[in-house]
Amino acid sequence: MPHGSPITDPILTSQGLLLVVLAGIAMALGALLIGKLLRRNVPHGVKGEAYECGEPAVGSSWVQFDLRFYVVALLFVIFDAEVALLYPWAVVFKDSGWSGLVDLLIFLGLIVVGFAFLWRFGYLDWIRSIRAQTDANASE
Amino acid sequence: MSDIFVPWRKRPPRHDAGPSGLVARLAVGLYRIGSPIVRRFPGTLFILASTAAILATGAIGYGMYTIYRLSEMSLPMGPDAKPATVVEIQERLSQLGLPVPATVVWCFQSSLVRDVVALLGIIAFVSVLAMFAIWWERKVSAHIQSRLGPMRVGGWHGWSQSLADGLKLIGKEDLIPTEADRPLYRLAPYLAFVPALAAFIFLPFGAYWVMRDLDVALIILLAVLAIEVIGVLVGGWASNNKWSVYGALREACQVVSYEIPMGISLLVPVMIAGSLRLSDIAGSQQGGWFHWLAWHSPWAFLAMFLYFIASLAACKRAPFDLPEAESELVAGFHTEYSGFRWSLFFFAEYAAMFLVSGLLVILFLGGWDAPWAGLDDWLGRALGWHWLISLSQSQNPYDRLFHGVFFSGPLWFIGKAMVLVYVQLWLRWTLPRLRIDQVLYSCVQVMLPLTIVVLVASAVWEMAVQEMPGFSVFASLISPVIAFIGILGCGSAAAAIITGTIGRRALVGTMAVERPLRGG
Repeated sequence: MPHGSPITDPILTSQGLLLVVLAGIAMALGALLIGKLLRRNVPHGVKGEAYECGEPAVGSSWVQFDLRFYVVALLFVIFDAEVALLYPWAVVFKDSGWSGLVDLLIFLGLIVVGFAFLWRFGYLDWIRSIRAQTDANASE
Repeated sequence: MSDIFVPWRKRPPRHDAGPSGLVARLAVGLYRIGSPIVRRFPGTLFILASTAAILATGAIGYGMYTIYRLSEMSLPMGPDAKPATVVEIQERLSQLGLPVPATVVWCFQSSLVRDVVALLGIIAFVSVLAMFAIWWERKVSAHIQSRLGPMRVGGWHGWSQSLADGLKLIGKEDLIPTEADRPLYRLAPYLAFVPALAAFIFLPFGAYWVMRDLDVALIILLAVLAIEVIGVLVGGWASNNKWSVYGALREACQVVSYEIPMGISLLVPVMIAGSLRLSDIAGSQQGGWFHWLAWHSPWAFLAMFLYFIASLAACKRAPFDLPEAESELVAGFHTEYSGFRWSLFFFAEYAAMFLVSGLLVILFLGGWDAPWAGLDDWLGRALGWHWLISLSQSQNPYDRLFHGVFFSGPLWFIGKAMVLVYVQLWLRWTLPRLRIDQVLYSCVQVMLPLTIVVLVASAVWEMAVQEMPGFSVFASLISPVIAFIGILGCGSAAAAIITGTIGRRALVGTMAVERPLRGG
C-alpha cells in the first residue's frame, strides 16, 4: 500500500541533513562546553602520556602497515562499485523479465571470475606462509 | 622525562568560585532537597511523572488537532497530505478573527514545525535509547555471568546508572595525549556521532513517522551509516597510541569488508519489493506475519541471517568486536579517549545497533506491523463492526491511537528492533571473539560467496515465480512452511526466555545458588 509520495527534492533532503548535522554538532559541543565550565583542570606530565600498560611509550605509533589491508581495500572498492550498480537493477528487476536475469549473470559472472582468481592464488588468505609462496613460484 | 618522575604534585585547594562553583552548589542543593523526597515516594513520583507526560502529550496532540479542525484544514497525514502554506494558514486564522502577522505564522508553518518536532524527537529518542541500552547491556551481561549488575543508583535495579555516568562523564577532566594530533583527535567523536544521528532522519518508525521519506532511503541510510567508520579510524590514528592504531585499522578492514555481504544481501528484499524506499518495502508487507519478506522465499530467509551477521560486524559487536577487543588491545580505538568524547563513541555505537536492527525489521520482518496486523479489517468484516474496518484510515486521534497500540505503529517497530538489539547483546556475552584472520576468512571466503549464491538464486526464484505458473504454485506452498519455521523459532525463543525467567536461580550477594541460602 503506498504511503503518499516520496521526497525526491534534493534541496529538501539536504536541508534535513543539514538540520540534523547541526543539531548533532550542537548536542556534542554543548555537552563538552558545559563540561568545560564545570570540570577542574589539573594537568600533569603523566596524564598526557600515551597508554602502553604503564611503560613509557617508545617511538611514534604512526607506522606503515601491512599491505594485506591494501588487498582488502581494493576488493572492497571493486565489489562496492558492483553492489552500488546492482541496486538500480534490483529496483526494475521484476519488470525486465528474463533479460534482466541474464544481465545479472553476465555482470556478476565477470566479477566472480576475478574473485575466483584471487581465491585460487591465495590473495584472500590472511596468513600466507613463505613456503607456500615459494612453492607456487617454483611450480610456475 | 624529569617532570614525570617528580613526586606527585599536591592537589590545589578547592575553591568553588565563578560559574562552575555556582552550578555545582546549585546541583548539590537540589540533590539535598530532592533526594529525601524521591527516596520517600519513588512509586508515587514515577506514576505522577508518567501521568503528567502522557497528559501533556495528549494535550499537545489534541491542541494541534483542534487548531487544524478550527481552521478547517485536513490533518497533515494520509496519502494526499499537503502541508498548508503560510498564506493559507494566515487567511484561515484571520477568518476566525485572529489576525496574526506572517512572520509569526511562518514559525508555525506545518513543514517546519514537523521538521523541528521530528528533530527533537530523534534527538530525544537517541539519547534515551543510548542510556537505556547501556544500562540494559550491563544488566544482561551481569545476569548472563550470574551477577546483578548496577543495583544502587536510582533505586529499582539501578535504573538511573547511565544518567549518573553521563553526568560524571561531563564533569571529567578533558585529557588529550601530548603526542596526539589534536585537531583530528577532537574531530573524531563528531565524525562518529553525527552520522549515526543523521541516519535516523531516513528511518521510518511508522507509516508517516519519518522525517525525510526518500525514494532512495536504503542507499542513503547505508551511506550515511558508513561514515561512522571514518570517525573511528581518525580517532584511533590521531590518538598516537599503538593499541588505538591497531584497533582503528582492524575496524577499517572489518567494516569495509563486511559492507559487501551486507549490501548484496540487502539486494534481495529490494528485488522482491521493487523499491529502494523503506516505507514502500515495509508497506508491501502489510497484512500479517505471513506477508513478511523473511518468509517470502527460502533465499530471503537466508539473506536475513546473512544480513544480520554482516550487521554485527558493521557495528563492531561481538563476535566481531576486534576494534575494541578489551583483552588484547586495552580498549582499541578509544584507549586514549576519556570523558564525554569517549561517551560520544558509545552513543554512536548504540544508535548504529538500533539502526541496523530497525533496517532488518523494515526489510524482512514487516516493519511497524503487529504479527496480526490484518486482523482488524478481517475481524471487522466478519463481525460487521464498521469502526474496526475503517480504523487504519480513520482521522480520529483516538481511533489512530487504538490502531497504533494494537495493530501497527511506531511502538511495534521499536519493540521489534529492541528484540533484535537484545539478540545482539545476548550474542556479545555468549560468543568468544574471532581472530582478525578468521574475521576476514569468514567474510571473503564464506559470507561473500554465500551472498552471491543467495542473490542469483533469489533472482532466478523470483523470475520463475513471475513467469512460470507451475512454479508459483510451488513457491506459494513453500512460503507458509518457512513462515511456520520462522514463527516456531520465535516461539521457542520466547518459550526459552519464559522458562528461564520462571526457573531462574536466586542470586544471593553475587553468587548464584539453587535456592536462597539460610540467613542470606
